[in-house]
Amino acid sequence: MATFGSFCLLIALVLAAYNLFAGAVALRLIATAEPGTGKRLLGKQRYWFILAGLLGLFTAWIGTHVLERIRARISPERLADTARRAGIAGFVAITGAAFALIWSVFTNDFSITYILEHSNRALPIPYKFAALWSGQEGSLLLWAWLLGTYGFVLRLTHKTDVKLYAYAGTILSGIQVFFLAVLVFAAPPFALLPGYVAGGAIPADGNGLNPLLQYPEMVIHPPMLYLGYVGFSVPFAFALGALMMRYPGEKWIKITRVWTMVTWLFLTCGIFLGMHWAYAVLGWGGYWGWDPVENASFMPWLTGTAFLHSVMMQERKGMMKSWNVWLIFSTFLLTMLGTLLTRAGLVSSVHAFAQSSIGTWFVVFMGIVLTVCIFTYILQRGHLKTEHHMESLVSRESSFLFNNLVLLTACFVILWGTLFPIISEYVQGTKVTVGAPFYNRVAVPIGLFLVFLTGVGPLLPWRATSFKAIKRNFVLPVIALWATVIVCLAVGVRPWKDGSLDSGSFYAVVAFAVAAAVLTAIIAEFLRGAGVISRQTNRNLFAATWLLTRRNTRRYGGYIVHIGVVVVVIGLAGSAFNRSIESEMGLHSTMQIGPYTLEQVGATQDSNPNYDSDYAMLNVYKESRRAKTLEFEGFQSYVIPIFRIVPLQMTPEKRVYLASQQPQTMVAIHSLPEWDLYVVYEGMNPDTDQPIIKAILNPLVGWIWFGLVVIVFGTFVALVPSLSPATASLRVPAAKAAPMTPALKGGD
Amino acid sequence: MTETDGLIAGVLLLFALFLYTFWPENSFASQKQKTRLDYLLERKEQLYENLRDLNFEYRAGKYPEEDFVSQRGLLEHETAELLAEIDHLQQV
Repeated sequence: MATFGSFCLLIALVLAAYNLFAGAVALRLIATAEPGTGKRLLGKQRYWFILAGLLGLFTAWIGTHVLERIRARISPERLADTARRAGIAGFVAITGAAFALIWSVFTNDFSITYILEHSNRALPIPYKFAALWSGQEGSLLLWAWLLGTYGFVLRLTHKTDVKLYAYAGTILSGIQVFFLAVLVFAAPPFALLPGYVAGGAIPADGNGLNPLLQYPEMVIHPPMLYLGYVGFSVPFAFALGALMMRYPGEKWIKITRVWTMVTWLFLTCGIFLGMHWAYAVLGWGGYWGWDPVENASFMPWLTGTAFLHSVMMQERKGMMKSWNVWLIFSTFLLTMLGTLLTRAGLVSSVHAFAQSSIGTWFVVFMGIVLTVCIFTYILQRGHLKTEHHMESLVSRESSFLFNNLVLLTACFVILWGTLFPIISEYVQGTKVTVGAPFYNRVAVPIGLFLVFLTGVGPLLPWRATSFKAIKRNFVLPVIALWATVIVCLAVGVRPWKDGSLDSGSFYAVVAFAVAAAVLTAIIAEFLRGAGVISRQTNRNLFAATWLLTRRNTRRYGGYIVHIGVVVVVIGLAGSAFNRSIESEMGLHSTMQIGPYTLEQVGATQDSNPNYDSDYAMLNVYKESRRAKTLEFEGFQSYVIPIFRIVPLQMTPEKRVYLASQQPQTMVAIHSLPEWDLYVVYEGMNPDTDQPIIKAILNPLVGWIWFGLVVIVFGTFVALVPSLSPATASLRVPAAKAAPMTPALKGGD
Repeated sequence: MTETDGLIAGVLLLFALFLYTFWPENSFASQKQKTRLDYLLERKEQLYENLRDLNFEYRAGKYPEEDFVSQRGLLEHETAELLAEIDHLQQV
């Protein structure tokens, strides 16, 4: 299979290179042949060839002659179609390579170095799939395969706008060439063991999968994250393509909206699954540690979120065109940085599963991408002139602008903190690491301000408004804000301690209050809209809300996403009230945390072919009565899940994986809406032979995961097409409306 | 799968993909240049949507009467100019 896999990768590289070359040549031929554009483009063609020369692809002289010869032999459109087909064929070839690697994992082909290092015979089947992305070579192959899949869908749907899709497909093939070149020349996944010859002896078993990755979320977290990372290549390709071809109008935004939202959703899910993995596996009781790789996934999310918001202004009013183009350029570059940080191990991280020298490849590629972006922007910036200007600081437009600025500030702060160890080492010679306190000090207030804007935005109308309207719309949210502050103080939350400010409690109170205000604002927005529909159609409020949402799924789906974000923020604020206790526990000894009492009723060991484990059994009592929990029994009629109520016993565990001889904590978590009881088996005291148990009470953590569910639901709503409105035609006599001057720019 | 089997499978795949990519096919989609009229028709849809939104937000109580009237006037003027240009281009 190694030969077949390597061959597939080589074929895919050749096809991607052909797609890039033939696609680029065809597009230039078509562009230069267009009536009225030839003279201008031939002039600019020289710039393109200077760039091509910089990239080592052409010289201006050779390029011009090649174009002349190709133009004489083949129609440019036919050439462009072969380029598109090469992209589709490339997807088949990469799929062949991915299949070969998966096949090799499942057949325990330890003659392949990657399989030897990332799998073993006793590895459970789901984790055999996880082996595909557990190492550097496999994860780069996954990147290339996902990019191929996105490109495959894009090329199949090219009839939406053949020319724009041809540009986007060619740009995607450029990215694909890079990843396949890395796979073929720098990080081959099918490399055989050193000294191995066909039919020779191979090791009896592999080294096994990293224990940190042997957890259910790890089967879906990396692919989700990669779907998000890779997916931003598509809006990037469309944006760059639209700019290169001076695409008239904003339709490219409409075309890429679904791509961008789906990608954003994948990235969001990937980030949250990673948080849950960190929470359930790393055993420190938290879910976000500002690890460089966590940051790397968060940064494109921030710029991608900013892009999703600000493109609305471009669609509606033709504003912020340059801003949007650079937002998506930055988002793509940040996904590259994320992949670089994850895979090249530039900075130390819990995610440093694979470290190597491919960093240079990524840095060079990012340099090329940035050069192309800057070059195209300079060349075509005239196409990005704004059609309208901000009419008022108090408008939906300005709230989007603020939202963008805040998101970018957060992104810059995180980027600075993430790269600071590298920068400090370069400048001072010593690596200075930036820890969680720095991020918390800066990011928490920024985040709260962002949530505040989430509530303010929907209250402001488009274009401009007056103070009178603002006052009317803000009354309810402000009441909700102060009512929440009073309730928090009344139930005993104190933002100050011993005369000084307790920042944790203070921010928690602010978060709860802002969350209440934002929720009120969003609900009021729904009710206001539903009221209008209700008056128009005589429907009840519920039916009117349903119709309202269907009429504008994008807006109201977006509001549901905002509700999800608010729920997540409430969950995050709960961390200010965490409590923990740690002690050695003998048989029948107890431990008290919050309303819970934990009694040790046994400490034992277990073994299976994959790992040995030590675990403690802890009966849990709440206010001196045995706590209860739901236990899943099975499915009725294969569909309806059946649960039964059982006494709660928690079994925190410590495993040692046999193949790698690496230990791993398995946390026991009892999750309720008000808090999580989180119990960790810290290890065995060798002197007393008794387990050391750590218990943490984490308030409101479940809200974070529930918030994700709301976000996913809201995004799905936003993805559903809205009901089409009926329009009445409006006729204006041409002579009366001064038709000789263009009404709007953008049709060039 | 032996090394030879892998090589044969790879060559077969290469052959199939080569045929697919370069198969003589004359019914490929042509690349149409988007005209200003296409652009204006797209823009018209957006302006209609902006007008609908304005009316809706007014009815939902977000605009006082005087703000609404001035905003509607601006949007209608912009739409009228655009429709006039569309008419003009369609007549040419």
